Amino acid sequence: MWGWLFGRLARAAGVAWLITSLVFIVSRQLPGGPDQLVVADLSELGRPVAADQSVASQQAARLAVRRRLGLELPVFYVTHRANQWYWHGPANQYHRWAVAVLHGDLGRSYRDGQPVGALLWQALRFTLPLAASAAGLAAGLALGLGLYLARRPGSPGARLLVGLLNGLQITPLFLVALGLLLLFANPDLLNLLPAAVQTPTEDGGQLLAYWLGRAALPLVSLVLAVLPELTLPLAAALRHEATTGYATTARAKGLPLGQVLRRHALPNALLPLLTTLTDLLPALVAGTVVVEVLFAFPGSGRLLAEAAAAHDYPLVVAGVLLTALARLLGLLLADILYFLIDPRLRPS
Amino acid sequence: MMSSGSFSLRTRPVAGLALGWLLLLLIVGLLAPWLPLSPTTPDLLLVAAPPATGSGHYLGTDALGRDVLAGLVAGAQRLVLLTLPAVALATLLGTLAGAAAGFWGNQRLRLPIAAGGWVLVAAWWGLRLPGTAFLCILLGIATALTLLTWRVARHPAARRRYTCALPLDSLVLGIITLLGSVPRLLLLVALAAGPPLTTGQLLALLTLLAWPETARLVRGQMHWVRAQPFIEAAQASGLPMSRIWWRHALPHACRPLLAFGPLSLAGLVGLESSLAFLGIGQGPDVVSWGSQLASVRHDTTAWWAAVFPGLALLLTLLALQKLAVLASPATNK
Repeated sequence: MWGWLFGRLARAAGVAWLITSLVFIVSRQLPGGPDQLVVADLSELGRPVAADQSVASQQAARLAVRRRLGLELPVFYVTHRANQWYWHGPANQYHRWAVAVLHGDLGRSYRDGQPVGALLWQALRFTLPLAASAAGLAAGLALGLGLYLARRPGSPGARLLVGLLNGLQITPLFLVALGLLLLFANPDLLNLLPAAVQTPTEDGGQLLAYWLGRAALPLVSLVLAVLPELTLPLAAALRHEATTGYATTARAKGLPLGQVLRRHALPNALLPLLTTLTDLLPALVAGTVVVEVLFAFPGSGRLLAEAAAAHDYPLVVAGVLLTALARLLGLLLADILYFLIDPRLRPS
Repeated sequence: MMSSGSFSLRTRPVAGLALGWLLLLLIVGLLAPWLPLSPTTPDLLLVAAPPATGSGHYLGTDALGRDVLAGLVAGAQRLVLLTLPAVALATLLGTLAGAAAGFWGNQRLRLPIAAGGWVLVAAWWGLRLPGTAFLCILLGIATALTLLTWRVARHPAARRRYTCALPLDSLVLGIITLLGSVPRLLLLVALAAGPPLTTGQLLALLTLLAWPETARLVRGQMHWVRAQPFIEAAQASGLPMSRIWWRHALPHACRPLLAFGPLSLAGLVGLESSLAFLGIGQGPDVVSWGSQLASVRHDTTAWWAAVFPGLALLLTLLALQKLAVLASPATNK
């Protein structure tokens, strides 16, 4: 068991490292990549371009920016130029980045020079509560709706609900969120939950109420995004369990259908749902990117989207690394949970 | 599946509507270059004009003065010329990879050892590594190995000794795990974070993100097909494995794709419009439904600039879902 666990952990770390390296290298090898874009942005931002500034001094300024960001080095260990291979040894961007990450330093943002780790941590303080409460709320709702759908499969209410969930499943999250924004946070229509209010300065209850109001619509969007994937398989599993022998026996003994489903069928139907729960995390992470941009919520998703739009590469790469690690650890956790719940699946 | 079309369409009007909408999109998308509409030229005299004002803008203009109808047509064109080819490519790639991995597994595809030498030679030459003399020596060794093992490797008893197994299944599964370790939207955002992508680059990116799902589905189906008696019968009759794979196993493994194809397309349409909505990796002059929807955030009073593209997107996705239900084996029994 421990050997298996160690192997899985090592593999998860390897996969996360590989995908991050892939993003790192591909992004920097694209023609006209961040190299030139960032330098162009920064040298224009850094100092006002005077009309009489010579080409040479502009080039000097760009070179200084490149050197400060470490972009003057080659990207990888080897480069291929004019039918020749060049070996650079450890003096390349990838090696420096890898060594820094292994020392726990994720680099500095290109835009404002702040450490990436601090920026991400600051944003995660908003995103983690949002995503966690969305996951909890969605799981609870899915349980209730799944039980309802299994109890009355053919009723008009159930049919309407299934139709709605099917439609919701295929709709991209940004469309749902945009609809909510235009309906409920629109000064011209219904301004129930204003998306733009001044932040109250004093601490305490007022601040809490303010953030609850800010987070309400993002939360609803995220719950709606993951609800169909949770509810529909659960309802199907429950309906399947209701046709099994033990459920018939329980019914024959006189238990009402609702109680049979809740007490006897639900524990068995929940087991295959564990896999769905591991898919919940990526859906939520991708969801926060869209939702936080749309509702101007200062979380990690918005940070990553803005970093990507501004070619702020250290931030994007760190975000990918963090997400991949979280996802792979989530998968591992699901496997461990499987083994704890169902001993037949344990690796021998 | 569509052979009983006229009868089933009369009994199922919703399915007819869905197919009609998709056909309309296809035709409009293909004819877009010849339509007298320009999605990027703003009409600065009529900014955020409401629909049907007799000004020539039948669906109004958005906050930048761009015609909404022209934007819808441009979005349809993007769907037909970008997302559809991406799904086709991804389906092809995913089917081949998944079917090969499911059929041959880790052990069953055995290549002669000499093939390794040829791969090395090809890689050496392709990467233009230094050392022409070494390349010649490698070429000689590979040729000698091939000649030596050519006759022997055909003999069943010697096959194990002179061949090595290609771990095809582990390879494909590894790549699928790698690409699946980060949510698709996040990976797309990260890879598109550079300069505005050309259509070709975006096509390649979307294909890269879409093929693992198809591959996983086909691989699972191939596992089932491979256990069927007719494969064993074909093997017993002495057909070569590659022919069994291509002629007998692959058509059966492709069956679930009929229902999965529309869903895959719907997923990519959603992904592409999400990226356009976030405005990452695209030039400001590219108009699609996603970028049209993003424009409403500047001016929420111009609801028509968001409602029409949103409706078009929603209708397309629902129609694709309906198509998937129609094409799935359960409804056609």
